[in-house]
Amino acid sequence: MLQVAITNYIALSATIFFIGVAGVLLRRNPLIMLMSIELMWNAANLLFLAFSRMWGNNAGHIFAFLVITVAAAEAAIGLAIVVIVFRNAKNVDVDEVAGLRG
Amino acid sequence: MIHHTMGVDGSYPFLLAVWLLPLLGAILLWAFGPQLGRLGGPLGCAAVGLAFVFTVLSWGAGTQHGAGGALGAHQLLVSWLPGFDFGLLLDPLALLWALIITGVGFLIHVYSIGYMDGDRAFARFFAYLNFFVFAMLTLVLSDNFVGLLIGWGLVGLASYFLIGFWIEKPSAVAAARKAFVLNVVGDVGIMFAIFVMFAATGSTAFGDVFAHAGSFGTTALLTVCVALFVGAAAKSAQIPLHTWLPDAMEGPTPVSALIHAATMVTAGVYLIARCAPLWSQSADAQLLVGTIGGLTALVGAILGVAQWDIKRILAYSTMSQIGYMIMGVGIGAYEGGVAHFFTHAFFKAQLFLGSGLIIHALANEQDVRKMGGLRKKLPFAFVAMATGVLAICGIPGFSGFFSKDQVIYGALEHGHPWLYAVGIVTAGITAYYMCRMLFVTFLGSYRGDVDPSDLGMRHPELAGTAHADDGHDGHDGHAHAPAWYMNVPVGILIVPTVLIGWLMFGGENSPWAHFFAGQFPVWHPGAAPISETLTTVIVLVVVVIGIGLAYWRYATAAALADAIPRLREESIRMPAVLTNLFYFDAAIDLLFVRPAQLLGTVFGRFLDPHVIDGGVRDVAAGARWLGVLTRSFQTGLVRAYALFVVFGALLFVAYYAFAGSIR
Amino acid sequence: MSVLTLILLPAVVALALALVKLDDRAAKVAGVLTAAATVALALVTRDAQFSFHWLARPFVANFHFGSTPVSFWIVLLLAVVTFCAILATNVRDTRSMIAMLLVLESTMLALFLARDLLVFALAWDAMLIPVFLCLVKYAEHPETAWRYFLYNFAGGLTLLFATAAFGAIYGTTDVIGNQSVHLIGAWAPWIFAGFAFAFLVKTPVFPLHTWMPITYTDTPPPMIAVVSAIQSKAGLYGFIAIGLAFLPDYMREYAPWFVVLALISLLYGAFAALAQNDLKRIVAYSSLSHLGLIVLAIFSFSHVAVAGALVYIVAHGLFSAALFLILGYVEEREGTRSLVRLGGIGVANPRLAGALCIAALAALGLPGLAGFVGEIVILTGVYQTGMLWPVVLALIPIVLAAAYMLRLFQGIANGPVPDDLPVRRDLTWIEGLAVAPLLIALVALGVDPHALVMGLLP
Repeated sequence: MLQVAITNYIALSATIFFIGVAGVLLRRNPLIMLMSIELMWNAANLLFLAFSRMWGNNAGHIFAFLVITVAAAEAAIGLAIVVIVFRNAKNVDVDEVAGLRG
Repeated sequence: MIHHTMGVDGSYPFLLAVWLLPLLGAILLWAFGPQLGRLGGPLGCAAVGLAFVFTVLSWGAGTQHGAGGALGAHQLLVSWLPGFDFGLLLDPLALLWALIITGVGFLIHVYSIGYMDGDRAFARFFAYLNFFVFAMLTLVLSDNFVGLLIGWGLVGLASYFLIGFWIEKPSAVAAARKAFVLNVVGDVGIMFAIFVMFAATGSTAFGDVFAHAGSFGTTALLTVCVALFVGAAAKSAQIPLHTWLPDAMEGPTPVSALIHAATMVTAGVYLIARCAPLWSQSADAQLLVGTIGGLTALVGAILGVAQWDIKRILAYSTMSQIGYMIMGVGIGAYEGGVAHFFTHAFFKAQLFLGSGLIIHALANEQDVRKMGGLRKKLPFAFVAMATGVLAICGIPGFSGFFSKDQVIYGALEHGHPWLYAVGIVTAGITAYYMCRMLFVTFLGSYRGDVDPSDLGMRHPELAGTAHADDGHDGHDGHAHAPAWYMNVPVGILIVPTVLIGWLMFGGENSPWAHFFAGQFPVWHPGAAPISETLTTVIVLVVVVIGIGLAYWRYATAAALADAIPRLREESIRMPAVLTNLFYFDAAIDLLFVRPAQLLGTVFGRFLDPHVIDGGVRDVAAGARWLGVLTRSFQTGLVRAYALFVVFGALLFVAYYAFAGSIR
Repeated sequence: MSVLTLILLPAVVALALALVKLDDRAAKVAGVLTAAATVALALVTRDAQFSFHWLARPFVANFHFGSTPVSFWIVLLLAVVTFCAILATNVRDTRSMIAMLLVLESTMLALFLARDLLVFALAWDAMLIPVFLCLVKYAEHPETAWRYFLYNFAGGLTLLFATAAFGAIYGTTDVIGNQSVHLIGAWAPWIFAGFAFAFLVKTPVFPLHTWMPITYTDTPPPMIAVVSAIQSKAGLYGFIAIGLAFLPDYMREYAPWFVVLALISLLYGAFAALAQNDLKRIVAYSSLSHLGLIVLAIFSFSHVAVAGALVYIVAHGLFSAALFLILGYVEEREGTRSLVRLGGIGVANPRLAGALCIAALAALGLPGLAGFVGEIVILTGVYQTGMLWPVVLALIPIVLAAAYMLRLFQGIANGPVPDDLPVRRDLTWIEGLAVAPLLIALVALGVDPHALVMGLLP
């Protein structure tokens, strides 16, 4: 049973999520962007666990584990890409790497 | 009105020989020209001469009267599709033309051996001459309008080749093109007539069309006649399509004699005479054609007064005389008009060939102001030209007398008093300018610089170019063709020029009338206000006045003594309207040539590359613009892409949020 | 089977030429032999057919080939013109040019022998490729190839859509040559529009013609001879074999528009030709004019006119090819295509001038040659249906043709010899042999087009 109403969890999760979105959209440092993405993952995790507790089953926990795994993998690869791309760069600024510009 | 049914069907090998021998000659001469060299002349003459023989041998077939009013010989050849069946028809009308074409043609071929001697393209000249004879025969021997049109076009082509024979001479090249394009205008007229005829009768054959002439309807019939007349006017140099004829004198003189005097230009006369069943049913067409013929006769004569080039004088005289012929056949005096064609063929050829003798002797001099006194130096030419002049003036007894009076009196008989008057006046003017030519050329003392011995031109093909006088001074070892090649045909032509008119003596009982029995629609004249004898006297008086005027201005002792300043005075004072040839050339240039060129430049140089193609390029530019627009989304910035992802996700969520709620 | 051989033989030889390194002479011999064999095969397979089942869904389509009364003559013309073009080839890298000519021949044989609309549509696009490749290699301006290809391909696209729609509605596309097929319904006008757009672009007809002048001037003579002689007829053949056969109601309904376009092409092309100084451009615009007459004939719906149109199609193919080949000879000798600079060739090269003369005279419709037969039969037929003003307007380009063709001929062959143009050799045997069949056919057809005409009349 939840001590707190589910809407609070949703609100908190949404806030964290949109802070993460804002971070991805507004920050130029790739590391900060990756951290923001982690924020978004974790917001989702929070929501999974909250609903899991509300319904009283373990489905949310399982999804949470999945999310942690994928998030870790994605962070690892993301960081690897960041290292390679910015190895010889002067500034670590994601706006500088516009090589996919059409 | 008798209906003109076509000839007796059968197979006529002689007729085929007449038609095809000149073609064979032309092909051989064109293909093997360089190898044949000087043999080309005799070969060309042989082809046409044989054709003449076969024409004579076909006399019987051509004048036979068959069942159902059939006149002459007919042979079917080839059929394109129903309504377009081609064959040969030889009736008296065609036979007369064929005799002139092959007979006078033969004489001119022989003459050309002498005249064109030394020309680099000697054999090719005879190829073209033979081709012309073939084409003209196609025209007159056809039994349907499309075949006639084919002959019409080929004759125009032959004329183009022969006028522009000296291809390096720009004036000849331009004259050839002018003649051909005007000729195509005529072709187009005949084509249109064919369309109307086919739509009305389902056929293009003479027999079918004439048999149904009554069923055309007045407008259709008038349209057909006018369209046909456009063709006739272009070919026969009638106003306003006559401007090519004087320029056509750029060609060698034998060409002028054969094509632009005796035969090709008479094709219009043949056409109208052939279509007599059509014309006889349309009084409007008759009036139109007669008027234009008369007008041309008058204008041609007036312009003839103003010319100084001997060939141009003859050219305008041809235009004028053909005006008589057209006037004659136009108003219905078919036998008269055709008679004038017959006599004119002889005396005009005579005049041109005679002038050729002079030109040849004087090394290409054609300006009569530089002549004079040639009566003593070139007596034979004088005799030849004099007989021609007497004939054309219509001096009693000479050939022109019989035919010209037939035409003039015919105008009155058929109810055209104005044309009668025009005919008389023109006869006077004709006498004046022809005698002017004769007197200025032959009397007095010689005004030129060349020694008119009989050496003649060395290189006719270079006439008019920078090299025209090369090799002329003294003998240069090249054997010159004997003069008899030129003199004999001229001599032979003197006989018909003087005497052939007597065939027409005797009115209804003359050999001429017998020959044409059954050919033309019969017409019974009403009473004419002036009798034929009186007409003859009036014409004679007018002619004598004309000769007298010419004599007084050019042939009196005082005039001859003062020739050079008087002629120069006359040249200076010639009215501009005459020297500019009544501004017909300028009018055609202004009304047709320039607008066409302007339209061409506007369409081809401006509209097409810039406007229409510009439209296409705009489409391409539009596609590129779309591409640029789409490309603007690909900024390469990760954050921008992330933004799109967010928006997309939001849209997605919103859809399910609201769509779910609506449900 | 023999039909299939006919279509594939040139392509196979082309492939061989592409793979095997032959010198120019051997390549030309191979090409000439193949072309000659194609002519023979074309004559022999007149009544043969070949069919191979292809699609069942979404509609039935077969690889069905065989000639119809109309297409037989165009196929024969194609074979003969390709033979002449190969014989006259004289460019750098002859081997690739001949290979491309043979591929072009194959694709166009497939087009005209196609009895299935889908095969027709595919061949339509396929025949663009050899020309495109040739333009990429030989053209003076780089964008010519793309302009030609994209414009015609756009037409090909609408053709494909129309074909697909046709198949969807009717159930099968194996219909060419089948007289009993009529298409009606809500989609039919759009199908007609799709076909018409493609045919108008290909012929070309004003105002979709602007790809033509630059393509015709930039393509080397042998290729452009074949293109102007045959490829331009694809659209006209389409109107006859597809439009008149399957969509006559819509053709009649929109006929006034097409007649107007045809008349504009007739006049516009003729006037524009008058003002050009580039030899090939003159012939290109004259083509625009001549083919407008055929469009007029088709949209008059007169049997006589359509019979005349077939004659004129063949005649135009012959004299157009002859003109381009001979002008190619002139350009190759004098190094220029400008009328301003040329002149006086007839003096030293009478045979070349003579050949040019015959071709030019056929083009201007001289009575006695094949072009005239076409013109007069067409216009007689059109007049019979009551169209007075189109006929009158169509007579004007005939006079203009005399003017611009003579300007072309005289500008090249007559006049004084310019000082800066050296006198070169006259027509060689091979060059003469290359144009002789065309010129002889023009004369023969001018005298007796019976065989051509009677095949079409009911």
